[in-house]
Amino acid sequence: MSKIMIGIPKALLYYKYGNLWITFFEELGCEIIVSPNTSKKILEDGIKYSMDEACMAMKIYMGHIYYLIDKCDYILVPRLKCVKKHEKLCTNFSALYDLVSNVFDTNLIHYNIDVDHKEDEFYAFTTMGLSLGFSYRKIVSAYRLAKQKEKLLKEREISKQKVLIASSTKIKILLAGHPYNLHDEFIGKQIEKILEENNIDIIYSDRYDDKYLEEEVKVISKKNYWTFNKEIMAAISHYQDVVDGIILITSFPCGPDSLSNEMILRNVKIPITNLIIDEGNSDTGLLTRIESFIDILEERRKNHE
Amino acid sequence: MNAYLGVDIGSISTKGVIIDDDNHILASSYIWTKGNPMEAVKELIHHLEKEIGKRKINIIGVGTTGSARKLIGTMLNANIIKNEITAHAIGTLSLYPDVKTIFEIGGQDSKIILIEDGIVVDYAMNTLCAAGTGAFLSSQANRLGVQVEDFGRIALTSKKPTKIAARCTVFAESDLVHKLQMGYKKEDIIAGLCQSVVSNYLNNVGKGKKIKAPIIFQGGVSKNIGVKKAFEEEVGNEVIVDPNGHLMGALGVAILSKKNPLKTSFKFSICEDQFETRGVECNKCPNHCEIICISKNKKLIDAWGNRCSNGDMMSKTSNH
Repeated sequence: MSKIMIGIPKALLYYKYGNLWITFFEELGCEIIVSPNTSKKILEDGIKYSMDEACMAMKIYMGHIYYLIDKCDYILVPRLKCVKKHEKLCTNFSALYDLVSNVFDTNLIHYNIDVDHKEDEFYAFTTMGLSLGFSYRKIVSAYRLAKQKEKLLKEREISKQKVLIASSTKIKILLAGHPYNLHDEFIGKQIEKILEENNIDIIYSDRYDDKYLEEEVKVISKKNYWTFNKEIMAAISHYQDVVDGIILITSFPCGPDSLSNEMILRNVKIPITNLIIDEGNSDTGLLTRIESFIDILEERRKNHE
Repeated sequence: MNAYLGVDIGSISTKGVIIDDDNHILASSYIWTKGNPMEAVKELIHHLEKEIGKRKINIIGVGTTGSARKLIGTMLNANIIKNEITAHAIGTLSLYPDVKTIFEIGGQDSKIILIEDGIVVDYAMNTLCAAGTGAFLSSQANRLGVQVEDFGRIALTSKKPTKIAARCTVFAESDLVHKLQMGYKKEDIIAGLCQSVVSNYLNNVGKGKKIKAPIIFQGGVSKNIGVKKAFEEEVGNEVIVDPNGHLMGALGVAILSKKNPLKTSFKFSICEDQFETRGVECNKCPNHCEIICISKNKKLIDAWGNRCSNGDMMSKTSNH
């Protein structure tokens, strides 16, 4: 029997759970294909297969699905409703599965998480494994291993960032936003490139140890139930004392961000700028905004010295 | 005498100044870009050369700013290429060291710059649309059959400005037509337009910003006295419009080129060189980047627009 080929779109939740998914399927002995970095073609395909109102990150996601069709047996499209008790995610994450299955004629794997209704991550992985025909024992051991590796990789990234903060003398900017915006070729990477050309050290909001999340998030918002936005807020309050400035990245139009950005902009104590990226963006506007922001940070440093 | 050239190439107009070591303006010029920044700059330099006349100057610094700063910076071999926000702030601060707020409304974009103790602390630019910028005012002037230059003077004659919805250019235009058909007076509508530019600016670019005096108002629209008056009424403070307000970006970037220890050489004869731009689509990866190549006297001098090294035109030519 040939191996099952699983397709994983390199967009949205990949940037959060990618390591976990890949190790899990590897341990089960599946073949994995991850779509490449977003290219102009992927973005254009995504726009073609999306409704106008979808956010740029969603459009990119649809482009990645289109890329994977016919290249694998199943595509992993998660349906995430709630990952932390009494908290919420953007409704797009619960709609994603149905959206994709309505637009494309392809096999998807069932992967549902709704902690408020007792469907946690472990449950999601077991149902997913069972539906592919693997034994319960094999699934559990693959999941445990995947969890361990995920933790290890995350810790490694965080400690690398800690070393950078401790050793860097250059201007440091915190890139804050959803991981799928920060690391996408057509959203965060564009900004990253400009910052690197300007000799800036970049700190990422998703490389953050969430041990004190609940306390740290309160600096910015006392009551908030958007899980992913809480993570951004907590990371901002955690890092704001060790960086020179913050660039807050949003893909247009984002519902939860429109609320949380406002709270962040009001409560942050250091220079911050909000860049909203859509598919029609020109680089010139982006460049002007980032360059002037860097000028502000440089002047501030000179004045403090 | 050492001198420094600053050029600010906007969407609508191109501005240039030549300054000496004490930031005194030796020559200045202000012309329309007419969609061709390279030709406009040649014309600008020609004007500046004429104004300098027989005075002996040696230009050792060139700075460019504005939306075509990179293109023109390459063309003029600039020793500094700076974004317009910083350039405007530096230029304004050299004349008004106490300034706290700069309003700027240009042809296509509008900005607010907040300054504390002589350094820029915050800024904002218009995000999604160009409603309430110079381009909007000139198209409405066209519709009303008035010269945009007369707008401010006519607005001041109005006793009861008409309210015009200015959240969006398209809606503002239909609202304006509607008001005309209803029989509102032209001067009231023009005054209403000026007010709507101001309220749109303050609710969009100026949203959530603490506006402190002294306030300087610049950009092409600052020449419109009706808008200036509307600003003063809205913020409750005097709004200063400098007669050289349109030159602040060019002045700022000239000062920055003076401060840059790295110097360049510049000759007025650059007008005789042939510059050409060419757009090439790179097909080496799925990104299909459009690469702009700049050549001087048929020789490639710079290229940009590629996302990855596959489209690097410069290294390719140097290899061969």
